Amino acid sequence: MESVPDLQKSMYKFIDGYPCVRLLNLSGVIGCSNPGREMVVAPIVRYKNAIALSQPSAVLVSSDEIQSFFTRIWHDSSFAGNIAGVIVESENEFQNKSKGFSPAGKFPLAEFAPYQNTSYEWNPIGSGIMWNAYDFPVFLLSESSTLTLQEAAIKNEKSKKAYIADVAEFDLVMQTTKAGTHDSETCLKEETCLPLGGYSVWSSLPPINVSSSDQSKPIILTMASMDSASFFRDKSLGADSPLSGLISLLAAIDALSHVDGLDDLTKQLVFIFFTGESWGYLGSRRFLYELDLQSEAVRGLNNSLIEMAIEIGSVGKGFNQGIKRFYTHTAEVSSATNETLKALKHAQDSLKSEHIIVSPANASNPGIPPSSLMSFLRKNSLTSGLVLEDFDSVFSNKFYHSHLDNISNINSSAIVAAASLVARTLYILASDNKSASGSALTGISVNVSLVEELMGCLLDCDPGLSCELVKEYISPNSTCPNHYAGVILDEPSFEPPPGYVDDMSRFLWNFLADRTSIPSENASSSCSQGCSNKGAVCVREETDGKGICVISTTRYVPAYSTRLKFESGIWTVLPPNSSDPMGMLDPVWTESNWNAIGLRVYTVQDAAYDRIVLVAGISVTVLAYLAIVTTRAVLTKALKRD
Amino acid sequence: MTLAAGIGYALLALGPSLSLFVSVISKKPFLILTVLSSTLLWLSSLIVLSGVWRGFLPLKSTSRWPYGLLIFTSIAFQEGLRVLFWKVYKRLEDLLDDFADRVSKPRLYQTDKMEIALAGGLGHGVAHAVFFCLSLLTPAFGPATFFVDRCSQLPFFLVSAIIALAFVTIHTFSMVIAFNGYAEGNKVDQVFVPVVHLVAGMVGVASSVYLSFISLQA
Repeated sequence: MESVPDLQKSMYKFIDGYPCVRLLNLSGVIGCSNPGREMVVAPIVRYKNAIALSQPSAVLVSSDEIQSFFTRIWHDSSFAGNIAGVIVESENEFQNKSKGFSPAGKFPLAEFAPYQNTSYEWNPIGSGIMWNAYDFPVFLLSESSTLTLQEAAIKNEKSKKAYIADVAEFDLVMQTTKAGTHDSETCLKEETCLPLGGYSVWSSLPPINVSSSDQSKPIILTMASMDSASFFRDKSLGADSPLSGLISLLAAIDALSHVDGLDDLTKQLVFIFFTGESWGYLGSRRFLYELDLQSEAVRGLNNSLIEMAIEIGSVGKGFNQGIKRFYTHTAEVSSATNETLKALKHAQDSLKSEHIIVSPANASNPGIPPSSLMSFLRKNSLTSGLVLEDFDSVFSNKFYHSHLDNISNINSSAIVAAASLVARTLYILASDNKSASGSALTGISVNVSLVEELMGCLLDCDPGLSCELVKEYISPNSTCPNHYAGVILDEPSFEPPPGYVDDMSRFLWNFLADRTSIPSENASSSCSQGCSNKGAVCVREETDGKGICVISTTRYVPAYSTRLKFESGIWTVLPPNSSDPMGMLDPVWTESNWNAIGLRVYTVQDAAYDRIVLVAGISVTVLAYLAIVTTRAVLTKALKRD
Repeated sequence: MTLAAGIGYALLALGPSLSLFVSVISKKPFLILTVLSSTLLWLSSLIVLSGVWRGFLPLKSTSRWPYGLLIFTSIAFQEGLRVLFWKVYKRLEDLLDDFADRVSKPRLYQTDKMEIALAGGLGHGVAHAVFFCLSLLTPAFGPATFFVDRCSQLPFFLVSAIIALAFVTIHTFSMVIAFNGYAEGNKVDQVFVPVVHLVAGMVGVASSVYLSFISLQA
């Protein structure tokens, strides 16, 4: 230790952890928060199934006990009453991964399903714990801080001195708790919360010539989602659900962009990446709403021209003993759907060496699994749509919407296989069998290193968003990727300022604009003053080169609830409208504001001990005074005698 | 550890000095001046020492002898300064006695001389306590406490307060004994003081509890 600040630092250990925050909807709250305005301070105790808590404690829970712990809270109110805070350890490498853990429900977003059977269990492992409200703070630890907390808990157990204890201090004070606003409508009015949302990105291959009058090419819309959710807002990777689908679609677009003769395709390929889907299909609903309005965000797209909607769901687990297996979930049978299924078969056959098998989903399923296609079907039940997934009747992802759905949960070969399948299927569909000959089709191949690079950049902290691929297009705000949708900042717009768009959307926009582009007339012209050519956009604006103008149809579409409106600086909740059936069911999710979030660990001594020290100090002072006075009296008397 | 504990530690270290100040020193302005000047002298000696030792710090050695050497040289320097202080005091005493003769007032009594020595020692002690204990006490007012491995029975702040109290006592009485020894030419007394000071310092180094203070001041 070199100085007093060093002493302070060794006394108070700051713990890096991921919090669970307060979220609100129209009827109430979910998530976690400090119960008041103060910090929560409690001694650290390890959780064992049989223990009873004698005093309010900070409970340290290991990764495989999360489910049983939260279940116990629900049923045992005396136990729950003594919980001051919860700290969850990071996962152990040697943990038994076969059990699975999912804090989501058994049928996520069941109320939005276009069919009646909402008690079907797509996610049987789901415990639903992330949808409950807790009035204590919950933190997830990183690997390094897990050790610190375990030591503190063991020290508390072993310590024979009753007057000292290692405590955890939680700072998870939420503004909605302080202001007393406990649902979305009041908190938006009081400005103590912000609505969940973000910016979806769409692009077309090849770019749509907006000025041309010939706009009648039928559109094949292929979609994927970029957001996931979990109990802990900053650890929502969603590797299998849904990022594996996103990565395979990006790889497919990359493969298709190298094909010659894209202008001769008879159908227009449009790709869209939604955000906010985990929170009530915000992205897809708002996209369809904008399409109806024919707004600036979707200029060039005509709703009536969309022939087929294909969604790439979770595909990362479709690898088993060398065979890559995928399932197609369809809604109604139609000619477009049949054509797509035929094209898939054709593509599968052309990829014989890859051992890919595509099968239709089980007919006893009640319908399509939770997916953005549900928004399309609720709007128009005759939409021809198809969802490609790696599961048949129940999710194969044992960690759906949990912090454990990370890169180790998926397989890159499955993603590469899905990408090849999708690229070739789209080519076959768009070229209408005329030129779907052998050589052109077999020429479409997916770049495997691109898939692996995307996985490393988007699903892992190392290299994370500082990887070369991402840094080529944007300057990221953080290194560790995270796919929680987040809140929508300020006014939603069609050309949002880059500071208000998160890293993922900005990266997708730049990547898609680059891949689907045709070079502008004056090649590699810098776009410091904007791009002169209509239909041109500025790519790589954030990197050192200051950007290049290219011709591309790539746009942001705001993603937020259709029940919200931003008016004169404030968000208002619109009344339910029968023309928007999904909006009527929308809980309108918002996230509370907060000042600071943190977790500290330190040792405290009993208040009685402090008082003893004070008394000792005062008594020493008084005794010394008495001794001095006495000595002086004695000395004076002795000297007087002299 | 909160406000109560913080005040408690401060009083433990400096309470007796406060009592002494209030009951003896504050009665005579000259003694107050003596306390202040001896405090200044002691702090200046520390500045000179840290200036000299700056080039060698931080001591990266895990063994204790470099710290021992540092303490030894510091104590030696301070004892040398004590002799200087005595010489200056002697000059001052002669000046005061001459002045007293001129205005036909009594000369300095024995008690007066001892009080001046006491004040000098108190100045040293208070400087030590403030510098080595009070300056570390700010974190003690927060909610946390701290235990050092070497002495895990007592909180770190309690240990530093007790040691500071001990050093205040040593410094205060050392000056009285030393001045007495120089005045009467008593060799035993003259040697006793530096030896006690050195022993106290070395014991601190040996126990390693004191090491954290030293590196804190580096």
